[in-house]
Amino acid sequence: MTTTPAPLSLNGQACDLPAEATLQALLRQRGYDVDAAAFACAVNGRFVPRSQWSLHALGEGDRVDVVAPVTGG
Amino acid sequence: MDLHPPTPWTVAGATLTSRMMLGTALYPSPQAMADAVSASGTEVLTVGLRRLQPELGGGEAFWQRVRATGCHILPNTAGCHSVDEAVTLAHMAREIFGSPWIKLEVVGDDYTLQPDPFGTVEAARTLVRDGFQVFAYTTDDLVVAQRLHEAGCAAVMPWAAPIGTGRGPLNPYALATLRARLPDAVLVVDAGLGRPSHAAQVMELGFDAVLLNTAVAQAGDPVRMARAFAAAVTAGRLAFEATPMAERQTAQPSTPTVGQPFWHAVP
Repeated sequence: MTTTPAPLSLNGQACDLPAEATLQALLRQRGYDVDAAAFACAVNGRFVPRSQWSLHALGEGDRVDVVAPVTGG
Repeated sequence: MDLHPPTPWTVAGATLTSRMMLGTALYPSPQAMADAVSASGTEVLTVGLRRLQPELGGGEAFWQRVRATGCHILPNTAGCHSVDEAVTLAHMAREIFGSPWIKLEVVGDDYTLQPDPFGTVEAARTLVRDGFQVFAYTTDDLVVAQRLHEAGCAAVMPWAAPIGTGRGPLNPYALATLRARLPDAVLVVDAGLGRPSHAAQVMELGFDAVLLNTAVAQAGDPVRMARAFAAAVTAGRLAFEATPMAERQTAQPSTPTVGQPFWHAVP
């Protein structure tokens, strides 16, 4: 029996791995303005600093979270 | 109204005049938020972090509006249910805001939003070690507050009542005990205050500041309520610094009894 690997997910939604499988490439592919300062990333629940986005390799099953400031108490 | 400003205080390396921190959620409009912030005189604003969908916009616009206030920004870890989630979100916040300030929240119970004391203490220790200035949201439990203070938190922030209830201090005795047992800690009452009199009450106990959101944002007139809370916080602090009179069990006349006319006059 074969198992299908879990797809890559971005903010909880399945998405395709970009040709260049890095965090920065994924963000660009999904329309994020990577030069804007007001967001940060985590992969599989671990913080990935901005300086590592272009180096951080992604694979099937990785869970990417991108957060930005919102109203809060 | 020109109230005598309260004594400045220091938290996480910042010297502040206002003793009222304010949340940025639940206002009827972004402009109402900006106006309430201005009216309150606050110098510290709390914000949240949530998933960003570029197609929906947001993020940058809100951040620009908040940054324009010139206030210190205190991002929270609201909604985190584990130490790992809270620590990761704190690191994400530090990169976005370029500041080590973090309002640590680790939820223990979804119904009451009561913080998880074990997770909060563990996360606080980790974040202090990682160089954060931790403002730890907690209950009014004395021993948990002691552990958070010992962990090196910049501020320990007990609730007065569960978040968003507006019920005011449910256990003033516990809050007074915290102040008495932690005289050197920065103590901020966070959550559960509904009316300016609640804020004045806890400030009279000697708390260093209060943190409000719903009580201002959901008032019929948030701007006027922001002003009312600011006045109450100042009044409460001044009262604490002035040392309130001791309570008495029995009446004692304030007008001198000597020289009382008709004294012992028999009708």
